[in-house]
Amino acid sequence: MQNNQKKNLWSFNFSTMALVLIPVSIGINYVGKLFAQTLRLPLWLDSIGTILAGILAGPWVGAISGGINNAIYGLTISPVSFAYGITSIAIGITAGVMARMGFVKSMKRAVIMGLVIAGISTVVSTPINIIFWGGQTGNIWGDALFGILRSANWPVWLASGLDELAVDLPDKIATTIIAFIIYQGLPKRITVLFEES
Amino acid sequence: MRSLSLYVKRDSLIHKIDPFTKIIYVFVSVISPFILPTLIFSTSLTLINLLFLLLGRVVKKVLPIISFVFIIILTIFIIQGMFYDANQTELFSLFNLNFYVEGILYAARISVRAINVLLAFSLLILTTPPTEMIESLVRRGMPAKLGYIMHSVLQIIPMMSSNASIIMDAQRARGMETEGSLWVRIKAFIPLIGPLVMSSLVNTHERSIALEVRGFSAATQKTFLHQEKVPGGMKQLRIFFLLFLAAVLAWRLVL
Amino acid sequence: MKKITINNLSYKYSLAENKALNNISLEVEKGDFIGVVGPNKAGKSTLCKSLVGLIPHFYKGEFEGEILIDNLNTLNSSIAELSLKVGLVFQNPFNQISGAKLSVYDELAFGLENNGLGREEMITRIDKYLNLMDLNEVKDNNPFELSGGQMQKLAIASIMALKPDVFVLDEPTSQLDPQGTEEVFKAVSRLREENLTVILVSQKLNKLADYANKILFLNQGEIAAYDNTAAVFSRNDLEQMGMGAPIYTEIARELGLKNEKNQYPIRKSELKEMLVAKYGKNIG
Ligand SMILES: Nc1ncnc2c1ncn2[C@@H]1O[C@H](COP(=O)(O)OP(=O)(O)OP(=O)(O)O)[C@@H](O)[C@H]1O
Ligand SMILES: [Mg+2]
Repeated sequence: MQNNQKKNLWSFNFSTMALVLIPVSIGINYVGKLFAQTLRLPLWLDSIGTILAGILAGPWVGAISGGINNAIYGLTISPVSFAYGITSIAIGITAGVMARMGFVKSMKRAVIMGLVIAGISTVVSTPINIIFWGGQTGNIWGDALFGILRSANWPVWLASGLDELAVDLPDKIATTIIAFIIYQGLPKRITVLFEES
Repeated sequence: MRSLSLYVKRDSLIHKIDPFTKIIYVFVSVISPFILPTLIFSTSLTLINLLFLLLGRVVKKVLPIISFVFIIILTIFIIQGMFYDANQTELFSLFNLNFYVEGILYAARISVRAINVLLAFSLLILTTPPTEMIESLVRRGMPAKLGYIMHSVLQIIPMMSSNASIIMDAQRARGMETEGSLWVRIKAFIPLIGPLVMSSLVNTHERSIALEVRGFSAATQKTFLHQEKVPGGMKQLRIFFLLFLAAVLAWRLVL
Repeated sequence: MKKITINNLSYKYSLAENKALNNISLEVEKGDFIGVVGPNKAGKSTLCKSLVGLIPHFYKGEFEGEILIDNLNTLNSSIAELSLKVGLVFQNPFNQISGAKLSVYDELAFGLENNGLGREEMITRIDKYLNLMDLNEVKDNNPFELSGGQMQKLAIASIMALKPDVFVLDEPTSQLDPQGTEEVFKAVSRLREENLTVILVSQKLNKLADYANKILFLNQGEIAAYDNTAAVFSRNDLEQMGMGAPIYTEIARELGLKNEKNQYPIRKSELKEMLVAKYGKNIG
C-alpha cells in the first residue's frame, strides 16, 4: 500500500542546517542530563540543547527541538515527559526570541535570559503539575516545600508554582549560562550558516 | 550500537497490529479519562491496557516504567490525603496526621489516570519498532523532514551517550576530579560536555551538505523502500476507536 | 563533448576577507578524469561545492560567473535537481551517513527515497552498487559501525545509486588509514570503468598519475595549471609553484629521462619501459 500522493498536512520549511541541528540538540539535552547525573549535580541540566537550538536557529527551531525532545523521551524512556513537551517548547521559543533580542551578547544578559526562561518554564509547568500530579514536581526539595505550603493552607497554584520555581530557578540559569558559553565557543563560520538560512 | 528503543520483539497478536492503528488506540485511551474523569472509567481503561499488555507478552517490561512513578504516586496520596482542598471526612489518623476520604479519592483518580497513560504508551512503545512508527506517520502526511529528525534522534542519543562515557573515562584517566565537593563536580561539567557538544554542532555543517547532495530538499514526493503491512480489519478497528472517543465526548456533554 | 563549462567563476564566503575562488574558467570533457591538486586553502573544496550547487544555494556569500553542467546552469537549478547530475563525496566518512537509517541497505535507499524512485528501481540499484562497492557482507550492519574505508565506500555507493554523470570527490581518503585508502581507490577505479566524468581532489599524486588524464592545479583561488597529467607534472617550474610530482616522475627528472613528447613518465610502467630502452634489460 503506497500512500505517496497525499500532500503534507502542514508545510515544514526549515533549512537543512536547522533540521540537522534539532536531533543534535536533543542529543545534547540527553548528555547534559547524563553528565549531571554522573556528577551527582543537584540540577537537571537537560535543556542545554534546546536553548542552543533556539539561540542558533531561532524560536521555531528551538520549539521543535523542545517538543520532539519530550516526544522522544515519552516514547522511549518515560511517557510522562509528553505532558511537559509544552514546557520544553516554551523554553525553546523563549531562548530563540531573546537571543534575537541580543541577550547572548554578554554573560550578564545571558543570566537575565536564564531568569526569564526559569520564570516562563515555571508558569507553563505549574498547570501541568496540577493536572497531572495534583501540583507536585517529583523533586524531593520542591515537593517538601509544596507539602509545607499546603499544610499552611496556601492555594494549590501558588504552592505548586513555588515548588516548580525552586527547582527551575537554579537549573535554568545554570543551563542558559552553559549554553551561552558553548555558543560563544563555536566558530563564526558555522553559526553564520544557521543565521543565513 | 543500538538505536534508542524499548521495543521488545515477540510473536503476538498486538505486535501484528499496524503502528497507525495502535497510535489511534493510544490516543483514545490516553485522552478519554481526561474527558471523563471518573475513577471507574479510568480504572476500566487501565485494566484493558493491562490485558493488551498481557496479550502482547510484555507485561514484565512495564514494571520498570511504572516503578519510575511509584514514589511520586505515593507522595501524592500522602499530600492530597492530608491537604486536598475539599477534605472533610476523616478516614484515619497516623502519628497525629489526619487523612481524609476526599483527598485519598482525588489522589486515586489522578494516579490511576497517570498509570493509564503510562500503560497505554508502554503498549505502543513495547510492541512497535520506532522506525516503523515514524514511517507510518510519514506515509500519512507527517512531513518527511520531521520523520528524519525523529529517526536521527533515535540514533544520535545512544551514539552521544557512548561518546559521553568514553570522554568521562578519558578525562578521569587524565586526572580530572569527578568526585568530591559540589564545587569540584560543577567545575568538571563544562570540560566534560564542552568538546562533545562542540564537535557535534560543528558536524551539523557537513551532515547537512551530505543530506543536500542526496536530494534531501527535493520537491519530489518521497517514496519508501519498505512496504507497509496492514492486516485486514484494521480500518474498522480504527473507526471503532474513534467512535468510542466520540461516545465519551457525548457522554461528558450530556452529563 | 563538453560536460562542464565554468565561466569567470569567483566566490567569497560570507565572513571571509578574500575570494576563495578568483575568476576561474575551464572546460571538462565528458569522460575526463580530472585530478585537482593545490596547497591548503587553494580553493579546491570551494570548487567542489560550486560544482554541485552548494555554492551559491547552501552557502550564501558573493557568487559571480557561471557553471554549466551540460547546459544546466547551477545558479538556476536546486541542489536536489543537480544531485541527479553531479555527485559529491567528501573527506569525513562519518558525517556523510544520513543518520536516519539503521542498516547499510536502507542507507543506500535514502537518496533514492528523497528523489521519489519506485521500489523496484530502488532495489535494483541498491543491489547493484552494494556489489560494485563490495558492501554485500555488511548490508545489514548499522552504517555507523563500519570501518572508515567501508563508510566511505558506502558514501560513494549512495551517490552512485543516484546515477550522476559527474562524480566529484574531495579528498576522499585524507581521513582514512592505508587500508581504507586502498579500498577507496579501488572504488574510484570502478567509477572510471563506469565511464563517469570524475573530478578527484587528492594529495596522493602517484594515484592521480594512475587515474587522471588531466591535472588542475589551483593556488590561492586561481588556476595555476590545467593540462594533461604528464604535461603538468613535466613542468620545470613545479617547485616554484609549490607542487610536487609523482615519485616516478621525480626519478625520471633526476635521471633526465624524457619521452618523445618531451615529457617525463608519470607511472611506474612507463618509467620502467624507458629505463629498459635506455640501459637494457638487465638494469630493471
Ligand atoms: N565556510 C567558510 N566560511 C568562510 N571561509 C571559508 C569557508 N570555507 C573555506 N573558507 C576559506 O576559503 C578559502 C578556500 O578554502 P577551501 O576549503 O576551498 O580550500 P582547500 O583548497 O580545499 O584547502 P584544504 O587543502 O585545506 O582542504 C580558504 O581561505 C578558507 O579559509
Ligand atoms: Mg579542502
